[in-house]
Amino acid sequence: MTKQEIIAKVNAALAEEFEVEESVLAPEANIKETLELDSLSLVDLVALIESNFGVKIAGSELVKIQTFQALYDYLEANAK
Amino acid sequence: MAEKSFSGEEIKLLIPQRSPMMQVDFFQAENDLEGNTSLTIAGDNLFCSGGLFREPGLIEHIAQSAAAYAGYDTFRRGEAPKLGFIGEVKKMKIGNLPKVGDTVRTHYKVLGSADGVTLLGAESKVGDEVVASGRMKIFIKQ
Repeated sequence: MTKQEIIAKVNAALAEEFEVEESVLAPEANIKETLELDSLSLVDLVALIESNFGVKIAGSELVKIQTFQALYDYLEANAK
Repeated sequence: MAEKSFSGEEIKLLIPQRSPMMQVDFFQAENDLEGNTSLTIAGDNLFCSGGLFREPGLIEHIAQSAAAYAGYDTFRRGEAPKLGFIGEVKKMKIGNLPKVGDTVRTHYKVLGSADGVTLLGAESKVGDEVVASGRMKIFIKQ
């Protein structure tokens, strides 16, 4: 899967799950702020990534992924 | 090796609810992430009216299925059951309501975990018909 394919798939899945427009998912934007994630909804992001990319993000990795660009980069390196 | 199954009074080893609130009468895990529960609807079930098992009962059954999953996890590790909370119910769909005498069979699957919160998906059927499906987040107090 190319980087562009990853971005397209991630954004489509995030937009549907979190009911936001894809246009707000700017690469430099903060994920938690943009998607209004709290401690309860963080698990939705983890489950979405696992079901779409087969990647299980550990808690220690999750805290490092602050922006959408960081998420794309992480998936490019780890997606199966 | 098959996972241990729990039925009748053994369910009390996994969940804190007691009669008449107990809405699970069978539990068996398939693996660490998936398993099955069931409930045969008695005529005097708290959530029945007009011969039907009502929507709150189906949601409570799925919630207790999630609780049983969490309880089994601690049971298997030889630990005492821990206090758990349902954090959120999402995407719940209810179909035709089960009748008294029906057995509701529920399959659950852990979809992800983060920050001590576990997201489970569950689908409940009577025979081949889906009567309820949805997601629940559970938080286990450590």
